[in-house]
Amino acid sequence: MSAAPMQKPAAQTAPVTGARLVVEALDHFGVEIVFGYPGGAIMPVYDAITGARFKHILVRHEQGAAFAADAYARVTGKPGVCMATSGPGATNLITGIANAMLDSVPLIAITGNVASPLMGTDAFQEIDILGCTLPIVKHSWIVRDPADIPAVFAEAFHVATSGRPGPVLIDLPKDVQVGAVAAPGSPYPLNEPARRVDPAQLRRAESAIGAAQRPLLYIGGGVRIGAATEQVRAFARATGIPAVATLQGLGVLPNDWPGFLGMLGMHGMRAANEAVQQCDLLIVAGARFDDRATGKLAEFAPHARVIHIDVDAAEIGKLRDAHIPIAGDLKTVLTQLNPRRPAIDDWRAQCIEASARHAFRYDAPGEGVYAPALLKELSEKAGDAFVAACDVGQHQMWAAQHCRFAAPEAHLTSGGLGAMGYGLPAGLGAKLARPDAHVVTITGDGSFAMNIQELATLRRYGVALKIVLLDNSTLGLVRQWQELFFDRNFSEIDLSDNPDFAAVAQAFGIEAFRISRREDVSAGIERLLAAPGPCLAHVIIDPMENVWPLVPPGKSNSEMMHGD
Amino acid sequence: MTNTILIHIDHAEGSLQRLIGLIERRGFHIERMTINDAGAGREVRVSVRPRDASRCADLLGRQIDRLIGARRIAPAAAASSVHVEEAVPCPA
Repeated sequence: MSAAPMQKPAAQTAPVTGARLVVEALDHFGVEIVFGYPGGAIMPVYDAITGARFKHILVRHEQGAAFAADAYARVTGKPGVCMATSGPGATNLITGIANAMLDSVPLIAITGNVASPLMGTDAFQEIDILGCTLPIVKHSWIVRDPADIPAVFAEAFHVATSGRPGPVLIDLPKDVQVGAVAAPGSPYPLNEPARRVDPAQLRRAESAIGAAQRPLLYIGGGVRIGAATEQVRAFARATGIPAVATLQGLGVLPNDWPGFLGMLGMHGMRAANEAVQQCDLLIVAGARFDDRATGKLAEFAPHARVIHIDVDAAEIGKLRDAHIPIAGDLKTVLTQLNPRRPAIDDWRAQCIEASARHAFRYDAPGEGVYAPALLKELSEKAGDAFVAACDVGQHQMWAAQHCRFAAPEAHLTSGGLGAMGYGLPAGLGAKLARPDAHVVTITGDGSFAMNIQELATLRRYGVALKIVLLDNSTLGLVRQWQELFFDRNFSEIDLSDNPDFAAVAQAFGIEAFRISRREDVSAGIERLLAAPGPCLAHVIIDPMENVWPLVPPGKSNSEMMHGD
Repeated sequence: MTNTILIHIDHAEGSLQRLIGLIERRGFHIERMTINDAGAGREVRVSVRPRDASRCADLLGRQIDRLIGARRIAPAAAASSVHVEEAVPCPA
């Protein structure tokens, strides 16, 4: 989305404050929801929002505001907006801003600051938030003159959403918020010429694809960001090339797409990793060779030439040389890329056979709840309306492995930063964006406790988010690594003194129940999905259950470990 | 190998800090830096040395190009493309 140049506020007959200009800017750019938390240095803006068209959601912690805005942006494709005061309010946004940076999410973070004369004096609740966030924003501004507010917001919306999206920060000293402006500044010129895709590289790519014997499509999160899902599906259909996806690329191809081999990488499907290791041409669409996907980089796809397509030219060649680099908008590139269908029937059959041979099984022994089977059933029962807001840990990987996603917007996960605590506020933001969808937060007992306060936000606004809390009374993924790579020296992973999470949820006014036996899973899922309001299913699982398969850290994807 | 990059940056708050932070964070030592006024902005001539052989000055140049309010005037002189093979090394 490109922001239109902002017009001067209509018919200003009296001076207007900077705070009022902030509200007018947010309304002008079509903001529907601002997630925030007030405090001293942002009070003038909070004073002005009572007349706003957008809705303000009062979270219970600023990190929750940033995560909720992030998820809102991922689901809608529009920028998410969060707001906080100076000092601790601003620093509490930082994890959420970093999350948006690493996953290329358009996020507008607005912070108040102490008045300009006090900046640099260590005043109460003063922090250099511009300096703190420099490495984790696409761009940032301190507004020094209230007349600049329209132009700064216009540029901020443009920067956040154009090219490779990302978070931006606007810091507003208190005197700028209260300062009166007779005539706000003129609109900022935002005409950015569309970048032309190099036709010579397109022809080279077509030639390489047509001649390949074992080509493979490598789908990343850039496909969702570039709204290129349909183009990728058309390309895969036309060429018949098998495909793998990163964690962020799941849902671009449906799980049952013929030739889709699933997720690659550390917890990927064996057939996906094998195909990568055997392919002779890797067509990379909006992926960045993240280490969780590649394993030992020097041994990743050792026989492959690489076609790398990305809107961000600085990603091409960053970690893996591209034989054919194509910098440009994915949708445009894929529309213009029309190779002949390669003769790969044997390769395609080999991939599909391997995928069937290594498919997950759901007949685990025992009577306890088997989390992978529960998640699979949950996503299937929710159907195409299913949207998962995942936390970080074993449950996150199980969700990626076993859930069915109809679209990439159906899988919200903190991929780059891996931020525990994302799931609950992300579910809040997603459900507010998609009230028609079955939005389910999939969380663990470690992650859930990190932003548990947002249960109060669900209750306050009646947000019908569903929560599946997989409780193994331990920090499961850390425990698994200690078991496998640290000689079973289980250090600081025990959470067996967890509270009764169902009782906690009920204390927040949220419907909650417990599932502890396998035979109760189906009825529990049905109860959860049918609940009219927010509802939590507290699911007790085996503390020793591991995520399989697994590529040990630093090893090649060809060295997968299996639990059976 | 030392590479010299000439960059035009605007006067916005934090722009110099942003540039220096990027260069160091992406794995380069700054060996020399000169800043001259250039009308509406500033001209920065910076000589950088990669921290290890995997760092590519061409790539750093493209990362600088991503900064808002910064523009390379001259790419890395004596560019140290370390990925030299049939593949295109750090394509521009």
